[in-house]
Amino acid sequence: MNAEAATYAVSLISEPSTGTRALQQETQLNRFLAEVERRALRIAEIGVRNRDDALDLVQDAMIKLVRKYGDRDSAEWAPLFYRILQNGVRDWHRRQAMRNRVMVWFGRGAPGDDEYDAVAAAPDPLGRAPDEEIQNSEAMDGLEVALHALPARQREAFMLRTFEGLDVAGTAVAMGCSQGSVKTHYSRAIHSLRETLEEYGPDGSGDG
Amino acid sequence: MKKSDEQLAQEAKALFDASVDELDAATLSRLNRSRHRALEAAHSPRSALLRFAPAAGVAAAVLIAVMVALPGPRQVEVMPAAVADLDILLGEDSIEMLEELEFYSWLDVIDEGDDVG
Repeated sequence: MNAEAATYAVSLISEPSTGTRALQQETQLNRFLAEVERRALRIAEIGVRNRDDALDLVQDAMIKLVRKYGDRDSAEWAPLFYRILQNGVRDWHRRQAMRNRVMVWFGRGAPGDDEYDAVAAAPDPLGRAPDEEIQNSEAMDGLEVALHALPARQREAFMLRTFEGLDVAGTAVAMGCSQGSVKTHYSRAIHSLRETLEEYGPDGSGDG
Repeated sequence: MKKSDEQLAQEAKALFDASVDELDAATLSRLNRSRHRALEAAHSPRSALLRFAPAAGVAAAVLIAVMVALPGPRQVEVMPAAVADLDILLGEDSIEMLEELEFYSWLDVIDEGDDVG
């Protein structure tokens, strides 16, 4: 076997074919999406306060990530995915604002927060003691109300940093702003949350 | 006593994680379907064709404008083709095709957003 043939043979063994690479990439994407999808849904749901709409937003974000950024390094996927999702949430609010204006114009009251029933939307229990579940559910409801009272950018910064665990750089990519802005939004968010939750108590006890 | 920022964030995270763990089976199933649909969309061959849809639309409009502008007995020839199209459109297969087209058109529309959504 000459040198060229030997090199070619080695390359066949060491480098996966295009089909194999595509399969590996799809497997990685599947794993990534499976890992983030539930948290992403809850983050979107807190943002729009509607589970069906949140599911649609998550699906859109998944499709866009796969089609546009699937070939990027997997370390970039999380910030990009959340950037797509946050843009989707912002677009959703724009559409809602427009719809509400139209509804008011036609003399029908705009749907308000009263329509959202957090208790009805609460998930099914998974073997927790009823007391514990109710306590957690109430505390989460309180937290969601407090989060919703925050300006959108502060809410995004807090949820991405705290719930999703993105670092400052990743959060900056996801929010499309500087790292300094992320720190400012996060700091303001946590101070506002403290003020709100000290009355209610993040543990649902009201004595926090 | 006031909680530290870290403590407040940890408590919020714990509540959030609990709410994630409590997602119901129907929701998890929908998430699963969404994920598979997203992965399938990466391979959709028709989506590439739909990228040319705007250009094809412009070309069709120009063609129609030229046909209208030029004199000639072209209108007579249109009728049999329109009847044949009607048969195709009324067929059961075409309904499925149209549903697919709707899906891929939707995929194309969400692709037309800005770079990252």
